[in-house]
Amino acid sequence: MRKLFIGIVLAVLLASIALLYIISTEKRSLIVTTTTSLYATGLLDELKAKFESKNPGVMVKFIATGTGEALKRASQGGVDLVLVHAPSLEKEYAEKGVIEKNGSIFAYNYFILVGPSADPAGASGKSVIDAFKSIYSAGERGKVLFISRGDRSGTNVREMQIWRMAGLNPKNKSWYIESGSDMVTTLSIANEKQAYTLVDVGTWLFMKDKLGLRVIVDRGDELINIYSVYIVPSGNVRDASAFKEFILSKEGQETINSFKGGGLFFSAIWPVDNTKWLRETWEKWSKIKG
Amino acid sequence: MVTPLEIAEISLRSIAISGTASIIAAVISIPLSLFLCLRDFKGKNLILEILNSMVSLPTVVIGLLLYYLLTRTGPLGFLDLMYTPIAMVIGQAILIIPLMTIFMERALDSRKDVVEVAISLGASNSQAAHRLFLDSLPGIISSVLVGFNRAIGELGVALMLGGNIKGFTRVMTTAIALEVSKGEFELGISLGFILVCISLLLTSAISRMARR
Repeated sequence: MRKLFIGIVLAVLLASIALLYIISTEKRSLIVTTTTSLYATGLLDELKAKFESKNPGVMVKFIATGTGEALKRASQGGVDLVLVHAPSLEKEYAEKGVIEKNGSIFAYNYFILVGPSADPAGASGKSVIDAFKSIYSAGERGKVLFISRGDRSGTNVREMQIWRMAGLNPKNKSWYIESGSDMVTTLSIANEKQAYTLVDVGTWLFMKDKLGLRVIVDRGDELINIYSVYIVPSGNVRDASAFKEFILSKEGQETINSFKGGGLFFSAIWPVDNTKWLRETWEKWSKIKG
Repeated sequence: MVTPLEIAEISLRSIAISGTASIIAAVISIPLSLFLCLRDFKGKNLILEILNSMVSLPTVVIGLLLYYLLTRTGPLGFLDLMYTPIAMVIGQAILIIPLMTIFMERALDSRKDVVEVAISLGASNSQAAHRLFLDSLPGIISSVLVGFNRAIGELGVALMLGGNIKGFTRVMTTAIALEVSKGEFELGISLGFILVCISLLLTSAISRMARR
């Protein structure tokens, strides 16, 4: 009995070590750094599966982090493509030559301002800027809390841009809490403290049933969330270009638009070419410091 | 979301990476701890203290240091090891060497009287060291297991150097972190429980084997 037990354990150990080294090396790697908000929904795995069935020689490998870290990793090399959503950071890294100058917008959706159902700041129904102003003044009166990601992610950059547009600086205020964590953790903190926070629609949709928070503002140009794809010139440009082309192709765009029944991500090019106004919006955000 | 087959695959990958890292770390730690135990020299205690405090180094910091070493623009970038299981093996091995060496040194030190006896019976220095090693084997093996368990449970190195790539560098701890970021807290706890069970199974089997 004991011998059998030990035998099984040893077999598992050896089999797993063997497994590690029988990784197929025939395929070319395509390393893509991306944001958690795209990856966690499962959209990228769907795009990967369709792309790999057409390009059997390539293995797409996603590394999901925040936009800040995704671009930073690209600047250190070893990355071939980035999928990100922070125009001002994208511009910065494009100017440094880390990513290609002219990336392509491939999808968009929205950020949402969420908060406690009682809405003690009275922000509901207002424009985004006015809602942030209400939260600021209610915060100063000690009535509400705001939770910020505080991690240079795309969502965090946008939040900082909105504060700047409102002419306010909440940093170091006692009611302004920087979680330094991912979106789900930040939402959970907002839920525990019954505070306001900015969230991308994807994360909100899969988390909302677990939370006692509601949508405060979900309309306004300030809330458009633009996802762009960039080739890293120092990487595997050939396969990166192929994957980029696939994302922008009719099939790729259809996959994005109809993902999980639709409504989570909107395609940028097909069936309606939204590139013009998306690019204008992108340009506007790329100039505002986060 | 995660199929049982995927969980099995991720578990095996965790065992393989941390197991290989433990073997490499043991190969380095055994001679190092023998040296520290048998030789008396100035600064020996300082070395032990430094090793001890290195155990407190956050795993993500070790991951970061190795990141700059292994990344394509870094000094070892030509090896093209970033975002591979091999990078994770190297990182985890470096992570657990101080821990293993300290535990091994303690195990050897508690049996040090063997050396004097062996030498008084006419053994050479290397024969005495060999005797000491054999007598301390159970302690050595449990040191290796402590290192293995530290490696399989760590997150920072795996995330920084491996990148949590599905089907390639995704291990238990990075899978748990991903599930948490997806809001799948219950699945995260279940995976954590599986990880502890794997560790318990391996630890008990290997220590039973060592006792025989």
